[in-house]
Amino acid sequence: MLKKGDILIILSVLMLALVSSVLIFTRPRTGTTVTVKVNNELVYKGSLFENKVIKLDGNTVEIKDGKVSVTQADCKNQICVNHKAITEKGESIICLPNKVIAEIE
Amino acid sequence: MTKKIALYGILASLALIFGYIESLFSLSFIAPGVKLGLANSIALLLLCCKDLKGALAVNITRILLSSLLFSSPFSLLFSLTAGISSILIMRLLSGVKSVSVIGFSIAGAAVHNCVQLTVASVLFGRAVWCYLPFLLISALLSGALIGVLSSIIFKKIKTNPFL
Repeated sequence: MLKKGDILIILSVLMLALVSSVLIFTRPRTGTTVTVKVNNELVYKGSLFENKVIKLDGNTVEIKDGKVSVTQADCKNQICVNHKAITEKGESIICLPNKVIAEIE
Repeated sequence: MTKKIALYGILASLALIFGYIESLFSLSFIAPGVKLGLANSIALLLLCCKDLKGALAVNITRILLSSLLFSSPFSLLFSLTAGISSILIMRLLSGVKSVSVIGFSIAGAAVHNCVQLTVASVLFGRAVWCYLPFLLISALLSGALIGVLSSIIFKKIKTNPFL
């Protein structure tokens, strides 16, 4: 009852299902938006995948290749500068002395 | 002509009943919108008889009535776009010699689900594409089932002068 074309259609639907599921389930679960807040006020909001250097009073936040890091801070402890770059949704780097929060949403 | 109108009316009401029966046992736990597609067997039969206009007319009538009776007008958007495009793709494939009813039933079901997802992604955002693999597999199964069913029915009614 099945003809050649039928098998072709079945195989192509299966292939499409396979490819789409691979694409969907191997996609990294990272956030895509970076927000920077100073004193709880939003000063920057942009894509994680758009390279950018954000200069603030006392801090420099850098977005590069899907990673966010604080490259410079004028405070003593330098905790935020030593913090490893963040890539995942929900992660944040906080500079307490300057009240800066960089977060991936 | 009058005979045809009467026939289309009967087929449209039959399709409507099929749709209602389907809504009684929901398969939506697999993914939203998954269904057997019994009503599609009528469009398939009409396409087997090389009656594209009839298939479109019956299907559009069925969709309009069922969304009026059983669901929200909002769902009309999904059903109508998907219903028309799946019929057109099935018509296209029914002209290909190496494709049987089962083949174009599956293709029609797959296209139906893809179009519905496209509409849903426009309305609700791209996240709905996560359902694509589930919808494709269910289209494969239900399309094959309805295709087999339709080919059996078609063999039986081939001799019937009514169609």
